[in-house]
Amino acid sequence: MDAALSTILSPIILFFLLGMVAALLRSQMTIPEAFAKGLAVYLMMAIGLKGGVEMSKNALTGDVIAVFIAGIALSFVIPLIAFKLLTKTTKLDKTNAAAVAAHYGSISIVTFVAATEALRLSGLQTSGHLVALAALMETPAIISALLLVQKTSTDKNNTGVAGAERGELMREVLLNASVVVLVGALLIGWITGEAGMTKIAPFFISPFQGVLCLFLLDMGLSAGRGLRQGWRQLDIATIGFGIYMPLISACLAGAICYILDMPTGDAALLITLSASASYIAVPAAMRLALPKAKPSIYLTLSLGVTFPFNVTLGIPLYILLAETLTQ
Amino acid sequence: MTTKKRIELIIEKMAFKRACRVFEAAGAKGYTALPTMAGFGNGNRWQRDTDMSGSNDMVMIISIGDDATTQRVIEDLESLLGEHVGVVSISDVTVMRPEKF
Repeated sequence: MDAALSTILSPIILFFLLGMVAALLRSQMTIPEAFAKGLAVYLMMAIGLKGGVEMSKNALTGDVIAVFIAGIALSFVIPLIAFKLLTKTTKLDKTNAAAVAAHYGSISIVTFVAATEALRLSGLQTSGHLVALAALMETPAIISALLLVQKTSTDKNNTGVAGAERGELMREVLLNASVVVLVGALLIGWITGEAGMTKIAPFFISPFQGVLCLFLLDMGLSAGRGLRQGWRQLDIATIGFGIYMPLISACLAGAICYILDMPTGDAALLITLSASASYIAVPAAMRLALPKAKPSIYLTLSLGVTFPFNVTLGIPLYILLAETLTQ
Repeated sequence: MTTKKRIELIIEKMAFKRACRVFEAAGAKGYTALPTMAGFGNGNRWQRDTDMSGSNDMVMIISIGDDATTQRVIEDLESLLGEHVGVVSISDVTVMRPEKF
């Protein structure tokens, strides 16, 4: 419970709330776009490097592979549950429901970073391979969503649309900036190990929390602006989905953590990953794969509803759930 | 001075490369792409830096060409705009050095 409280009152979360409130109050405060993108690259590099260094200390065991398989399976399955719930409880058509479902099967790397920091502040250990898992869980949900709208293999590339190029969707999905930076930094951290990390620690370790505060201030502004501009597109049932779906995913992941007998920190991260919703990789992929789906629905829901919920209340709840399950 | 057709396409950023391929495949001699700041359409306000995915971003592509090329571009853009968010307009413009277009 202490861990949960300290998460809510951490500078990271309070800066996020500051940004969100400022945007909702129509403040003119902005963080330059290119600078925010630079911060995102820095954070993904830092988290990838740390994860790689941790991975270099331990061998890739059967337990780790089991966690990878479980994470990928969750990313495939969660969109199916989300799609069913959306088509039963909301007015969204199949295309929009599938696009929203893809977001909830994929992950939010910023939520993951916030959870990692919350766990570190609580003194809970986490394993480096969870970073690799984050990268692995980004894309299966997109495939699930495409299957949900019964796309054929050629349609997946939208080759019927003028100017569409074969393989452009797969390129977007597998080689988007977050996957490249995260996996690349993870491999570099893994290869160079602790010795390599020592050389770059002053840049990647000490300023990390401050940069995260700055980035979450920007994320708060983005979430607030997204909510302000797109809330008219969401009805109560859809907003409700943005809150209860992460909890359903968290329970599902919690059951897997219990079965796999995962340590508390790792369990909290897997639960957080499963409960988080993408707002960088999947929206971009959906614009290519399902252009008829409305970004004002899926992005507002993911960025304006689920992300703030996860960062403020969700993470403490997921840590609490992990603690309860692993006691 | 010669009269040519000017195509002005505003399209979502994620379809930008598709649009460029349409212009190139139709034989356009050139085009220029510009970023946009913000706008309103279909009941929604959008702003360039709302989110990191860039899914709300729009770009403008301007191309000047002869009637035949313009016709070919427009036919393909119709298919593209059937799927993606965007608007297109065509106007007559007067140009110097017509061989450039």
